[in-house]
Amino acid sequence: MLVSLDPTDARPLYLQIMDEVRRALVVGTLRPEDPVPSVRDLASQLVVNPRTVSQAYHELEREGVLYVRRGQGTFVAAAARSDRRTLGRKVAKRAVLDARRNGLGVEELIATIREIAAKEDRRPAVPASTTTRGDNR
Amino acid sequence: MTAHAVATRGLTKRYGRDTALDRVDLQVPDGAVFVLIGANGAGKSTTFRLLMNLERPDEGAAEILGLDTASRGPEARAQVGYVPERLDHSYGWMTCARLLQHVSTYYAAWDFGYADHLSKTFALRLDRRVGTLSKGESRRLQLVLALAHRPPVLLLDEPTDGLDLAMRTRALSLLAEHLADTPATVLMSTHQIHEVDGLADHMGVLRDGRLVAQMSRDEIQRTVRRYRAEVPELWQAPPDLQAGGVRSSTRREMQWTLIGDERAVVERLTQAGALVREVSAMTLEAAALALLTQDVTR
Amino acid sequence: MMQASLHPTPQARRVLAEQVRAVALALRWPFIVASALLGAATVLLTIGLLGADAPIDFRPELSMLPGMVGLLLPIAVWHGEARFGASLLWTLPVDRRWHALAKVGAGWVWLMALVALFVIWLLALTLLSGGTVLAEEMLRVLPAALAPVGLPPAAGSLDPAALQTVRWAPTPLLWLVPFTGATGAYVLASAVPLGVRQPVRWIAGTLLVLFFIFTAGDLTKAAWVARALPGIEPLYFGRYGFDALLTARTESLKTIATLSTGETVSVWRGVPDLGHWAIATLLWTSAGLIALWAAASRHRERR
Repeated sequence: MLVSLDPTDARPLYLQIMDEVRRALVVGTLRPEDPVPSVRDLASQLVVNPRTVSQAYHELEREGVLYVRRGQGTFVAAAARSDRRTLGRKVAKRAVLDARRNGLGVEELIATIREIAAKEDRRPAVPASTTTRGDNR
Repeated sequence: MTAHAVATRGLTKRYGRDTALDRVDLQVPDGAVFVLIGANGAGKSTTFRLLMNLERPDEGAAEILGLDTASRGPEARAQVGYVPERLDHSYGWMTCARLLQHVSTYYAAWDFGYADHLSKTFALRLDRRVGTLSKGESRRLQLVLALAHRPPVLLLDEPTDGLDLAMRTRALSLLAEHLADTPATVLMSTHQIHEVDGLADHMGVLRDGRLVAQMSRDEIQRTVRRYRAEVPELWQAPPDLQAGGVRSSTRREMQWTLIGDERAVVERLTQAGALVREVSAMTLEAAALALLTQDVTR
Repeated sequence: MMQASLHPTPQARRVLAEQVRAVALALRWPFIVASALLGAATVLLTIGLLGADAPIDFRPELSMLPGMVGLLLPIAVWHGEARFGASLLWTLPVDRRWHALAKVGAGWVWLMALVALFVIWLLALTLLSGGTVLAEEMLRVLPAALAPVGLPPAAGSLDPAALQTVRWAPTPLLWLVPFTGATGAYVLASAVPLGVRQPVRWIAGTLLVLFFIFTAGDLTKAAWVARALPGIEPLYFGRYGFDALLTARTESLKTIATLSTGETVSVWRGVPDLGHWAIATLLWTSAGLIALWAAASRHRERR
C-alpha cells in the first residue's frame, strides 16, 4: 500500500492516514485480507511518528476496518466495507468549504460539477490527477 | 519536575551582558518528540549544552529522567544520545570504526549490530579517518554515535544540518524507525520544520532566550487558528487585537493568528466589529512561523 | 512508557583500559619516531664501540632523556583533543575531572613502558660492550670554592693536587631515577594542556623569558645574575632542583675541566646524594600532582 500525505493539510496526521487507508479500500488498491505496512515501515516511509501510525491503525481496528493477526502483522478485515459514504462526505465537505471560500453558492457548485463531470465522461479515459485543478475548460 | 523526561526550571544563562536563556521552563513529556525552534542565537544550542552539563547555568536547574544534570551529570549523560550543533574535530586521527569502538565501551547498552546497520544506512566508510570526513559524513557519524546505544533520551541539535536532501530524508526515516523500535523521548532543534512535521508531537518556541510557547501538536491544532475577517475601512482594532494582525492594502480585510478556543475567539472578534469570513487550522510550520515572528495574542 | 531501569555509567576499570588503548593510538607516531631514533643510536654506538675500546657502563641516571620525554609526552597525549569546549570527551557519561585524570594516567602507563624500553636498551648496550653494571667509581671532586655552580672552571687553572678523590658506590636505587624523573616531569607538564587553553603560548612565553635571563647572565659573564635572581638557578641546579628530580644531579654536578697539566678530565662539584634525590622527587612530584589536580578541576562538573 503506497501512502502519501498532503503537507498542506492541517488536520491531525492519524486522521489523514485513516483516510488514506479508507480511500485505498474504496478505490480497490486494498482488499480484505491484504496486509497493511507495519507501524515501523509506514512511519519510516512517511517520516511520521510511529505513535501516530499506531493511533491510526488502532482507530481503524476499532472501526473494524483492520485486524491484528498475532505475530504476523496487521491486515484488512474480511468484513471491511469500503466506506464510500464516509469518503463521499469528506470529499463533499472539502468541496463545500472550498466553494464558500471562493464565494460560490452550493447550488451553483452542484450545477458546475454536473457540467464538468459530463465533459470528463466524454473524454478518453485519463487517470485521475489532482494537478488538473487549474484547468480553464 | 518529574514525570517529564526532560525538564528545566528557571534555566538562565548569560554570556557577559548577553542573556542567552532567560528563565526557561522547558517540559518535555515522556515519549514525546519535541521540536525546539528559534532564530539563530535564540538559545537553542545553549539549552542542549546546559542539559549535557557542558556549561553551568547562571540560575535554575535541569533534569533528565529525574537526574539533576549538574550534580549527577555522568548518570544523566548515560541516558542520552547527543548530536551537538558543531562538528567535533577531536580524534581526527582515529578511523570511524575505531571511534565507534571507543565510544561503545562507555555505553553498556551499545547495540553493535544496530551500529553496523546505521553505518550502512548512512553509507559511512568506516575505514576512513574521522579527520578526513566531509561535513555531511561527520554529521552522520555523530547520528550513529547518538543512536547506537538506544538511549531513552535523544538530544539532537540540528541533526540534519549539513546533510544533502536525500540524506536528510534518510536520517529522519531512520529516526522514525528508531522510535518504533526503541521508546525514547526526543528533544530536537531544527530550522527545517516541514521536515519534522510528521515526527513532532510537541513544539517549543525560543525567542531571545525566552520560551514564548510550548504546546503539544493537539493543542496547536485545537487552539492556534488563522482568522480572516472583513472589517470596515476606518475600523480600528481594539488594543488586545492589534498585535499580530495583518491588514490588507484595501483596509477592508484583516487577518490574525490567535490562540484560544475557536468559538470564544470568533465571538471576541465579532464583538469588536470584525466579520469573520474564514477560520483555518494551521500546519505546524505555519504556527511556528507565527509564534516566531509575531506576538501571538491569546 | 517510563524506563524501568536507567542505563548505567561505565565502570572505572573499562574507562581506564579504553583510555590506555586510545592513548596508545594517539602515541603511535612518537613511538615510531622513538624506535627509529633508538635504532639509529644503536647503529652509531655500535660503530663507535667497534672503533674505540672503551666499554659503556650502565648509568641510567645520567641521561636526561626520560625526563625530557616525560616533559614532552603530554603534547602527544592531548594532540587533537579539544580540552575546552563541547568535545566528545566531555559529553561521555564519565565524571569530567576524573576522565581527564584517567587520560593522563593512560599516558603515564605508556611513558613508563617507554622508559623501561630505554633502560633495557642501555643495559643491553652495557652488557654487549662488556661494561659494568654496578661498578665502584673513583670520583675526582672539586672543592666548593673552586666550583661555582653553573660555570665551568677556567681552563688550565686547575691544580691536580686540589682535587679530592672520593669513592662512589652507586646503588641499584639509582635505576629508579629515569622512572621517577620522567613521572615527575610528566605530571607537571600534563597540567599545562589541561589547565590552559593555549599551552603553546604559555610555554613559548616562559621559555623566552628564561632564555633571556640565562643569555643575559652568560653575556655579562657575571655570577651576579645568578645571585640577583635567587629563585631561578637553585630551581634547576639546587640541592632539590629540577635536575635532582631528573638525574639525581649527576648531570649538573659533573663537568669537564682542563688541569694545569693539560689533561682533560671529568670532575665533580659534589657527590650525588640519594637523600637529596628522594626529597627532590617528592617535592617536584607533589607539586606536579597539585598542579594537575587544579588543572583537571577546571573541568569538573559540580560548581
